[in-house]
Amino acid sequence: MASDAPETSARDRHQLRTLIYAITVLLVVLGMVLATVIAARPLNAYPFLFFPLGFYLLAQGLVVLIVAATFWFARAQERIDIERGESEEY
Amino acid sequence: MSASTRLRTPNPHLGAYFGIVTSAFLSLVILLAMFEQLGFGRAGLTYALMLLPLAFYVAIAVGARSNDVEDFFVCGRRVPAVYNGFVLAATAVGGIGFFSYTGALFFLGFDALAIGLGLTFGMLVATVLFAPYLHKAGAYTLASFLGQRFRSRPLRMAASALQLPVTGLLLAAEIKIAAMVAAMFLPVTYPIGALLVAILIAGIVIAGGMRTVTWTGSAEFLIGAAGLAVPLIIVSVLVTHIPAPQVTYGERMTALQRSEVTMGALPSAPGRAVQPLPGDAAQASTKPFAQPFGALSKPDFIVLFLCVALGTAALPSLLVRSGVTRSAIEQRKSSAWGLLFVALFVMTAPALAAFAKALIFDALAQVSALRLPRWIGELAAMGILDARDLNSDGAVRATETLVARDGVALSLPVATGLPYVGTVLVGAAGMALALAAAASHLFTAAGSLSEDLYRLIDRRVTALPRIIAAWAAVAATAVLALCTVWTADPDPLHAALDAFAFAAATFFPVLLLGIWWRRTSSLGALAAMGTGFAVVAVDVVVGGLFGLDESGLATLIAGLIGVVAGLGAGIAISLFGPQASAAEEAYFEDMRDPDGETIYDRAQQRAAAAAAIEAARVPPP
Repeated sequence: MASDAPETSARDRHQLRTLIYAITVLLVVLGMVLATVIAARPLNAYPFLFFPLGFYLLAQGLVVLIVAATFWFARAQERIDIERGESEEY
Repeated sequence: MSASTRLRTPNPHLGAYFGIVTSAFLSLVILLAMFEQLGFGRAGLTYALMLLPLAFYVAIAVGARSNDVEDFFVCGRRVPAVYNGFVLAATAVGGIGFFSYTGALFFLGFDALAIGLGLTFGMLVATVLFAPYLHKAGAYTLASFLGQRFRSRPLRMAASALQLPVTGLLLAAEIKIAAMVAAMFLPVTYPIGALLVAILIAGIVIAGGMRTVTWTGSAEFLIGAAGLAVPLIIVSVLVTHIPAPQVTYGERMTALQRSEVTMGALPSAPGRAVQPLPGDAAQASTKPFAQPFGALSKPDFIVLFLCVALGTAALPSLLVRSGVTRSAIEQRKSSAWGLLFVALFVMTAPALAAFAKALIFDALAQVSALRLPRWIGELAAMGILDARDLNSDGAVRATETLVARDGVALSLPVATGLPYVGTVLVGAAGMALALAAAASHLFTAAGSLSEDLYRLIDRRVTALPRIIAAWAAVAATAVLALCTVWTADPDPLHAALDAFAFAAATFFPVLLLGIWWRRTSSLGALAAMGTGFAVVAVDVVVGGLFGLDESGLATLIAGLIGVVAGLGAGIAISLFGPQASAAEEAYFEDMRDPDGETIYDRAQQRAAAAAAIEAARVPPP
């Protein structure tokens, strides 16, 4: 599969980085959601903006985190996509 | 004719057009509110606020009509990212989110947050894993993509048939929501309302397919968002003096807790008195709003979250919109925009439910049963609230307060004492979102039926041209959905959750394997799809026949089992069955390359060029 041709190595590097980005962003978000659900009761003991913290995180905090993660991901992936496009022009 | 010569620049005046749409709608609302103060009759105001937007959607559909194949299926691949985000959000939220999710929040409070969070996370999963690659493939429907990726006609036909339960359930649910709003505000009965709604969305889809669905959907999204935001901001200012409902309802939650205790709504435990997922009949809300895991246990909460997330990620109605932007990078951005708009709704919905519940419960807890405020009677007349002192102890208890789940959003403006126009505004907003989502689901279902089933079964290419076949499929699907609404009368929330379970089990494994694993074979893809679907289908049939699954939770669990079983079956068959062909691997590599024209469009151009050469070589007699 892997060959020494610069095109193939650029392709493989791009695919590997894409995979790492995808797994990272999904696992981080999923991990935080599950951790918050599991720890919701103890977190609720702390108030935040008059909300119990566990409720606040599930209703808004994590949603904001997902939005931020999505826009970060879109930008990061765009950068490596353009990089690959440039390396293939030779 | 060839796709590469088409101009892929969007209309530069779009921003101005939709700015005008939004401001015209808001001006209409203000104007009608002034007329109401001047003493105009309610009927005229209601018809104006409900019917003028509907007429406007029809006008957009007529203006954007098209019978060009590329316009009909992918809107010419030139929708700007933000506008595609509008329609993605309107489809994901829909009337079900607007009325049923807010209602579920009213009854379950904390426990229903799993649905909103799942919806948001599902959009992220689709953005990261699927949407850009589906754009590069460029197929017009999800089933066409699977057929082209695996060079398999049976797979394509099977996928087209298996997406019907998903889109069909959602379509029926959205038609029901829109018909309920129509029956409440317009002089039509519920069955006639459903008929009119079906005719309207079928007309919109037939006029120009994806093109009209996109532009009417964008307008409907803006009107839906305005109709949700305006009353809620006013309520927030009235109650807390700060115009940001998302952050201010925390203050009201302490007072709400006190009222709940007064009315006897005490903390509950899962599996006891409180139904885990409220049905659409009027019922008592006895679970405290802020109590965590009172109706759904912690594992149930996670199951609900994951099933909604994976179902949203693999929802054909959202993924079919992956081809409408210019490039894979643009597509990723548009999915991110869609997610942002969904996130705004998801953060706002609990505020709506909390304000509505606080207003209703505070009023009932503080006064005796003999002197209930006048708006309680108004809500009763609308069929939303039934609060009576059944045991004659002088107070209305939580168990004596029956609330209709899908009416909670409409109860907020009434309970706040807003002018009647405020109530109609919420109705018009919910109607707009329900129509946008229904048109998307209808287009997805019918487009796939005509492209992937009819055109493969009927090989005589000329018998019915592509667009006319799609028109026929739209009409047939609309009639089918209408009959479902009339006869089965589905509960929108439960129908939507069933659809998510079907979508997750049927399409998530096959898409994950097909897009991310080079060695997936066509037999493996078929096995993944069939296994996942079979697991949920068995659960629904067995649960339906024996009445085992009253709560709807078992279908969600079956959905997740279906995902795992589908992945297992797909991997096993791909590893030990016949290997993927070189052509399939080449398609895989091409799909993963973010640059260049879509694979489908290039194939079309090659075919057109070959046909031109052929025509030149054989001169006509």
